[in-house]
Amino acid sequence: MARVALDLPLRANLSALDNIALIPLYQRHYDAAESVRQAQAMLDQLGHAEIALLRDPDMTPSQRFVTQLARALILKRPRLVIDRPGAMLYDVPYPAFIRQLAAQAGMTGTWEIFDFDWNQALYQA
Amino acid sequence: MNFIAASIESLGAKVAGWGTVGYGMFAFLVQAVLLLLERSTWNRATFDVVIKQVYFTAVQILHVFLGYTLVISWLIITIILTTARDFGLTEFASEMTIRVLVLELLPFLTALFIALRSGSAINTEVALMKVNNELDALAHCKVPPMQFEFLPRLIGGVVSVVALAGLAGLIALLMGYFTIYGVSTAGFEPYTQTIAKIFDFRIVAGLLLKCVLFGLAVTLIPVTAGLETPKKLFMVPVSVLRGMMRVFFAIVAIEVVSLALKYI
Repeated sequence: MARVALDLPLRANLSALDNIALIPLYQRHYDAAESVRQAQAMLDQLGHAEIALLRDPDMTPSQRFVTQLARALILKRPRLVIDRPGAMLYDVPYPAFIRQLAAQAGMTGTWEIFDFDWNQALYQA
Repeated sequence: MNFIAASIESLGAKVAGWGTVGYGMFAFLVQAVLLLLERSTWNRATFDVVIKQVYFTAVQILHVFLGYTLVISWLIITIILTTARDFGLTEFASEMTIRVLVLELLPFLTALFIALRSGSAINTEVALMKVNNELDALAHCKVPPMQFEFLPRLIGGVVSVVALAGLAGLIALLMGYFTIYGVSTAGFEPYTQTIAKIFDFRIVAGLLLKCVLFGLAVTLIPVTAGLETPKKLFMVPVSVLRGMMRVFFAIVAIEVVSLALKYI
C-alpha cells in the first residue's frame, strides 16, 4: 500500500523531481537520468510539470500534495491511500482537486480516501 | 548516607548513559561497515551522493581552508624557526616543523574545521529529518536511509578529512622549506632526508589511521546524535549541542592517544 499523508513528508532539501526520482533510483536501480525522466513524466501526467524544481518549503500545500501523490504513484503499489487530505490540502477545495488529479490521463488503480466523518458532506457536494 | 547513595546512583546513570551512547555508535558503525561490504551498496546512486558529500565537505571550502592553512603554517613555522635560532638549534627546525605541523596540528585543525562546518550541519539535518518524520517517509518508500543519507556522509567525511589533512601537510612542507632555506635548492637534500627519516611506515600508517578516525568522529557522532533526538522540535538545539560536545571530546581523545602512542 502506498500512502499520502501528512506524517510522510518530502525530503525538505530535495526538489519535487528529486523526491520522486528517489524511488526508481533506489528501488528499481535505474540510473539518475532515467529516474529523473520517469519523475518528470509522472509530474507531467498529473498536470503539474512546473513544480519540478521547487523544494518543500517553497511549495504551496497543493503543490506539496501533488509531489507526495506523484511519489506514492511511482511506487506502483496495488493500493493508494490518501490519509486525511484536509490536513494537507487546506488551500484548495480538496475533494474536487483530488478528483481532478485522478481524472488525468493514464491514472489507474483505486484511490482510497480516509477522512473524518464530519467532512463527508464535502464529498457529496 | 543518602548523599553517597544519590551520588553513586547519579554516577551509575551517567556511566550507563555513556555506555548506551557508545554502544549505539558502535552498532551504527558495524551496520555501516557491513553495508559497505554488500555488493548492492555500490550502485551509481550511492556513488553520486558520496561525490556530492565530498564536494560539499571538502571542495566547496577549499579556498577558505587553503588560506587558513597558509596563515597557520606560516605563523607556526616562523615561531619554531625564531625559537630554534634563539637557542642555537636551527638544524632541528625542519624536523620540529614537520612533527608539530604536519603530524599533529594540521590534521587536528582540519578535523575541527570539518566538525564545526559539516559536523554541526549533519547533526542538525539528521535531527530535523528525525523530528519531521522524513526518515519514516523514506522507509515507507523503501528508500534505505542508511544507504541514501548516512553512509555517503560517513564516506564523504573520511575522504574529506584525509584529503584536506594531506593537502595541508603538503602545503606546510613546502612552506617550511621556503621559510627555512628560502628560494634555493641548497636545502633540498637535508630537508628531504629529514622528511624521509620522519615518515617511516609506522608514522604514515598512524597518521592515516588518525585522519580516518577524525573523519569518522566528525560524521558518525553527529549522525548518531541526530538519530537520538526525540520527536520534538525544541530538542534539535540540544541534540546539536550534545553531538558537538561528543565530537570535540572524541577529536581530543584521538589526538591524545595518538600523541601518547608516539612519544610515551
